[in-house]
Amino acid sequence: MSTLAARFRRIPGWQWTFAVALLALGFLVAVQLGAEGPRVRYSSSERPPLLETARELDDAQAALQARILELRDRIAAAEAASTGTDRAVMELNQALTTSRLAAGLVEIEGPGLIVRIDDSGQSVPPGAAAADYLVTANDLRGLVAELWLAGAQAISVNGERIVETTAFTDIGSSILVNSAYLQPPYDVSVIGPPELYDRLTTSASFVDLVRARVQDYGLELGFLPSDRVAVAAFAGTIKLVQGRAVPSASPGSSP
Amino acid sequence: MRQPRALLAVTTVAFVLGILLVMQLRAQNGAGGLEQLSAADLTVLIANLNDRNGLLRAEVAGLEADLRGLEATGASGEGNLGRLRSDLTRLRLWSGLEAIEGRGVRVEVVGPITADAVNDLLDELRLAGAEAIAIEDVRVVAGTIVAGQPTELVVDGSRLGPAFEITAIGSPPALQAILDRSGGIVSRIAVGQPDVFVEIILSETPLQLPATRRDLIPDGATPRI
Repeated sequence: MSTLAARFRRIPGWQWTFAVALLALGFLVAVQLGAEGPRVRYSSSERPPLLETARELDDAQAALQARILELRDRIAAAEAASTGTDRAVMELNQALTTSRLAAGLVEIEGPGLIVRIDDSGQSVPPGAAAADYLVTANDLRGLVAELWLAGAQAISVNGERIVETTAFTDIGSSILVNSAYLQPPYDVSVIGPPELYDRLTTSASFVDLVRARVQDYGLELGFLPSDRVAVAAFAGTIKLVQGRAVPSASPGSSP
Repeated sequence: MRQPRALLAVTTVAFVLGILLVMQLRAQNGAGGLEQLSAADLTVLIANLNDRNGLLRAEVAGLEADLRGLEATGASGEGNLGRLRSDLTRLRLWSGLEAIEGRGVRVEVVGPITADAVNDLLDELRLAGAEAIAIEDVRVVAGTIVAGQPTELVVDGSRLGPAFEITAIGSPPALQAILDRSGGIVSRIAVGQPDVFVEIILSETPLQLPATRRDLIPDGATPRI
């Protein structure tokens, strides 16, 4: 034992430094190779202009959404400013405020959870499908469905509010929610009752989902309970082309 | 460390280490999903973003007009009273707080269909631009999920029988096209669940969908200022 210790003491300092540097090098090489994992890079001459166009449209979408939220806030403030001047206006404003909240047009906060789901960090085994190691629209839709069933009251995914018209779509390895392009990791912000987490994690269908995607393919799933979860406002269109009020219904009645 | 060869070796390793570190940091920062898409996928994405941006621009234009009207006449002006009523009606119809009617499609489902398949059907209808959806007499809103085992499906507390109908208001040809497309949800059900029969019927007369029975105001949440 003492011989071994003596041999270690005889190793010069620079050799220790060298060994640590090689260890770090090996680690970085492994991380780099791992990062090449499931997502595949494509290259062709037609891609650069397409990429640029997609980026511009994505940026334009973010700007339009911000403008919509700003205008809705300004309209609500202008309407609220007239409260008290006219009873009919006051009642309409109150009904509008409640309806906006019900429709998901208002950013809200409350107790709940943030659930993060991300692509698998595992390298894809030979012969396996790389797409199985990525989060899909089906995974997100399934997770959101489980959250609703567990008692969620409001949900947004990476800032996209889930409303009655929300659809989840795959385009290649990317996901559209409300037709907005989202990138992993996906943070699902949920407001719900205190027992939300327990209900979710003890649900048989949620356990099946975890088994099928997290255990089998290594998708990463994490939870962060919080007393103040922010759920974004819906920043899309509220357009009815075919739909109209049923003649017998009473528009403007209280919710 | 005084040996030049040792010094050279450490320098080389440190150099390679630095390059790898920079590559790794760049890879993590630039791992945007767009880089991963093929030219064909990028084309589909661009088409989707274009469509959505067109709708968002129309929404912005409408909101700007509303704001101008408000600022010009004040919220209690007669014109704005009408606009407030119209906004309220539109919002309540869209969110499911009010019964709604309009053209669309009826989807008849018969057989032991899975809850996932019904939820997929609803998602496809939304994707095709459905303005309102109902399953039997249950209006589908944000939190409406079909659950349970085939033949024992439940939606918002209502049990669905072995045969049920989904109604959707929206452009009938667009709704039919997305459901019926090759590789679409109806053909997937036909392959995966051969005992299930799904028929899409374009409605000749306006469909009427009920208001939701759910309370849509999130309990315990407050508007964020």
